[in-house]
Amino acid sequence: MTAFLQLAFNGLALGAAYALVALGFVLVLNATSAVNFAQGDLVMAGGYGAAALAALLPLPGLALLPLVMAAMAVLGLAVAALAYFPLMRRPASSVFISTIAVGLLLQNGALHLFGPEPRAAPPVLGGGQMHLGHVVLSYQSLAIVVIAAALVAGQRWLFAHTQLGRRMRATAQDREMAAALGIPVRTMIALTFALAAALAGASGALLSNQFFVTPTEGGALILKAYIAVVIGGWGSLEGAVLGALLIGVFETLVAAWFDYITAEALLYGVLLLILLGRPQGFYGEAAGRRA
Amino acid sequence: MTSAALAQPWRGLGARAPWAIAALALIAYAGFASPYELRVLAFAGTQVVLVLGYQFIFGHAGALSLAQGAFFGIGAYVTAVLGGRYGLGFLGTFPLSILIPLALAAIVAAPVLRLASHYFALATLGLAQLALLAAVNGGEFTGGALGLTGVPGIVLLGWTVPRGIAFAAVVWLVVAAGAWLSLRLTRGLTGRAYAVLRGDPLAASAIGLSEQHLRLAAFLLSAGYAGAAGALDAHILGVVSSETMAFSVMVACLAMTVIGGSTRLAGAFIGALLLTYLPEWLRSLEGYSLLAYGAALLLAIVLAPSGIAGAVAGTIAALGRVRRPVLPAPAELPEPQGPSGLPLLVVRGLAKRFGGIEALKGVDLTIDRGEILGVIGPNGSGKTTLANLVSGFVRPDGGTVILAGQSLTPLGASAIARAGIGRSFQHPALPPELSVLEMVALARASLSDDLGFRAALAGRDRGDRRERHEAEALHFLQVLDADGYARYPCNALPYRAAWRVEIARILALEPKLVILDEPAAGLNEAEQGELARSLRRLARRGLGLLVIEHNMPFLLPVADRVMVLDEGRVIASGKPEDIRRNPAVVAAYLGRRAGMS
Amino acid sequence: MRGRLLAIDVPGAALESASLAVAAGEVVALLGANGAGKSTLLRSIMGLEPARGGQRLAGEEIGALSPAQRARRGIGYVPEGRRLFPGMSVRDTLLVGSREGTAAAERRMSAVLELFPMLAERLMTPAWQLSGGQQQMLAIGRALMSEPKLLLLDEPSLGLAPVVVDELMLRLRGIAAGGAAVLLAEQSVARALEIADRVYALAMGRVVAEGTPAAMQASGVLERAFLGADAVSPARRPP
Repeated sequence: MTAFLQLAFNGLALGAAYALVALGFVLVLNATSAVNFAQGDLVMAGGYGAAALAALLPLPGLALLPLVMAAMAVLGLAVAALAYFPLMRRPASSVFISTIAVGLLLQNGALHLFGPEPRAAPPVLGGGQMHLGHVVLSYQSLAIVVIAAALVAGQRWLFAHTQLGRRMRATAQDREMAAALGIPVRTMIALTFALAAALAGASGALLSNQFFVTPTEGGALILKAYIAVVIGGWGSLEGAVLGALLIGVFETLVAAWFDYITAEALLYGVLLLILLGRPQGFYGEAAGRRA
Repeated sequence: MTSAALAQPWRGLGARAPWAIAALALIAYAGFASPYELRVLAFAGTQVVLVLGYQFIFGHAGALSLAQGAFFGIGAYVTAVLGGRYGLGFLGTFPLSILIPLALAAIVAAPVLRLASHYFALATLGLAQLALLAAVNGGEFTGGALGLTGVPGIVLLGWTVPRGIAFAAVVWLVVAAGAWLSLRLTRGLTGRAYAVLRGDPLAASAIGLSEQHLRLAAFLLSAGYAGAAGALDAHILGVVSSETMAFSVMVACLAMTVIGGSTRLAGAFIGALLLTYLPEWLRSLEGYSLLAYGAALLLAIVLAPSGIAGAVAGTIAALGRVRRPVLPAPAELPEPQGPSGLPLLVVRGLAKRFGGIEALKGVDLTIDRGEILGVIGPNGSGKTTLANLVSGFVRPDGGTVILAGQSLTPLGASAIARAGIGRSFQHPALPPELSVLEMVALARASLSDDLGFRAALAGRDRGDRRERHEAEALHFLQVLDADGYARYPCNALPYRAAWRVEIARILALEPKLVILDEPAAGLNEAEQGELARSLRRLARRGLGLLVIEHNMPFLLPVADRVMVLDEGRVIASGKPEDIRRNPAVVAAYLGRRAGMS
Repeated sequence: MRGRLLAIDVPGAALESASLAVAAGEVVALLGANGAGKSTLLRSIMGLEPARGGQRLAGEEIGALSPAQRARRGIGYVPEGRRLFPGMSVRDTLLVGSREGTAAAERRMSAVLELFPMLAERLMTPAWQLSGGQQQMLAIGRALMSEPKLLLLDEPSLGLAPVVVDELMLRLRGIAAGGAAVLLAEQSVARALEIADRVYALAMGRVVAEGTPAAMQASGVLERAFLGADAVSPARRPP
């Protein structure tokens, strides 16, 4: 039982980091009806960003996090300007391809700047751990869970209680109608990209302490974000977060019982089964009433 | 060869000249190339084959598959395992390297192909990841992460093809065969059918094309080509590892296809050769080649969405150097004088609810041969639902539809279209590269077995057959006085001519019953008169017509009977004059409430 | 006519040519069957549909402006089918259309809620849970949040019960009395004639008649336009 709880906690921490990736993925999806394939590579960029900043500024991870997120938001604006706005009126698959290209640029940019060796960002608060019964809670894992929860809550608050959030929601739901209400829809879309990139960057900064960061990890992450969104119901923000948590726990448990590769393979198998049986996902009615 | 080409033989040569020059240049280059250069040349050939295959699913069918790299890897592993471990020769391994990816594609096609754009792309990526994991974890069978070494060279009936020029020649013979097959499959009517499909699946089904069949065929072909490319790659390198299946292979394939051009044969060559040789030429940029790939892909998708080949073709077209297609003489088809008065369509108790709303609450109607039934009613009264139910685009919850004695209730839209119900669409998104004549000819061909890859392989979708379909298409355009628009690109048709072409397309499918949804919308009075005359002419051919229309001044004179729908129910039905005087109708249209005025 | 607020001349695909003018405080109805061009006309005034020809709002040429810019110049739009943001609450739906600070937006919302009291009771209800009539009120309220000079409504009575439509029309008169110009597309001729100060009849993308409801009733032009009662049959007319 202790072993199970321990694994579940570790999985939760992993899932919390995935949740930020999936949340950014689904925010852009809702705002543009397009897949931002570079979302996984933005996570990687955030990990390197945190590692590089730490080398310059000897600060704890917690202090670096806002800096990383701000820089990533700017990168998100650049992605929107390069890969989305020029293709706004083209079929959605064009954006899929342009963001694959952006991902390729990010990966190889990182490879040239940092080399192929894995890098680690500093821990959020420092090493150490606490015990809850026999379960070991490392401060880093706890910090990931707490920070991810705070960011998810912050995104919810932004959307629910601020005029900016309302306008971003309106733009995502009906772009033409939003424009007819005087909302600057292009600005809202650009900000959505910035927010998604900032969330991805946070996830990268948090993950890269324990799991290190390599230039090519983005591909697996985007697939997990996608699976989370499929599990959660295409377009549902809550569903994406929930799906990501499930994936994190599932992956950790299966990896412990069998091995990591089996966990991955099972995950993709589950994805295909879901697509076969219930393409609308398990949570909510998806696109029909997203908010 | 067409009569036009016979008359001006140099024109046919003009189109082929660049290919002949390129082939000669290739042979000359190979003659002087170093062993290393020949190896690169052979590798470039595998990439051409890979891209030629990817053009089927991504270019022609318009579906973003991310499994092409996996099929490439599977082909390579099949060759490595069968050739390296079991000592099978090229004539055994090569066909199996094609067939096994193809069979795997067929197995996954059922769940994956019905998915729409993003779902399809990411689901195929999931499949590719599964294949990659299987390769890494295949233990001894796949050599694990290290892969398999000692893949033999190409062994033809005991003769090992020596590395160097002979090897490159074998690879490029496969390239030539692949290009020939691709050309054969996509140059005729079948290729045009794909153009319609990627433009708008709804438009494809309106023309009588089956979306599922077209997509499946393209997916299988792309897998087979990828397998062939992978097999050749394994022979060249002598090693197969999980790298062969990595996502970077897929991205490179996508980049080559987008940059070269996704639907043109030349695009496969341009893209594959450019991205293979660019890193060779730019040695100083060593290590930055993938960065350049990314930048080139981004630039291409933004600036030249149809690739280099498309941009060149567009420039040539803009310079006016393409020959204008010569119109065939229209076919002489007899104008049928159909029987009238016999019952054609019988609808009983047709009902449909959407969520909690009863859109149609048990509608009965009959249409005789040669009769025009007008359907009117306010917005939301169920008119369009009625049209959708009768034509099978929406499944009814209850009721029966019988056409000429045949029950249509259990059938789907395309089967109902084949059974003889033609239907107009308001704004089908037809591709710019298709002319009106070609579009109507496609509809004609869909009635025959002159469409699809099997027909293309047998040469039935081109030449005389195609000319016959085009001649017949021209006949139907003539019936609607639209033959003057035959050469217009479908998407550039003047608004006022669209209805003529739309009805010609329906007629070409030889329907028994025609459903028109607001055909007079946006037409001025003179055009409405023309439309009315055309409708009467169709009725004289023995067709039944169901015309949904708001415009009473247009509808009442042309209809034999009028039915009024309100809130999913028939509230009045009868002769046009009676409908015009019907108090309920007058109230609905002029607002004279009962007792008022 | 009192000073023109909106004057347009819009030729387009579904719309051959339409010239019309609306003054502040006036309710003007566009009549016509489906396909006559009513929606296209309203959408082109909102900037959602490309149009040639001139469009002037309060003397300013607005033809080249984007929808958002037009909204900020004072055009409110209530589209066909309402197009509410389904997951948004009544409160959020109203506030999203405001371009003022929080306090001013709240004040404006109170004013709008006074006009539609039934919405005040359901401030936190998601839009998709409202009845059809409430949704229509909310769509109008959303457009009113920016205090538009010109309110465009596309078939606001569609799918609503007669009592609800009566109330809706009463509210529209109130909005016009407050100084806004109201231009509504309406399929129900009876409704339009009851509420409007002036009526434009559209057919085949053209304005075929214009005048006060009484004049339109008397002239018989509506019969000709909508029923073709004494029109020559187009089918039998020589080409």
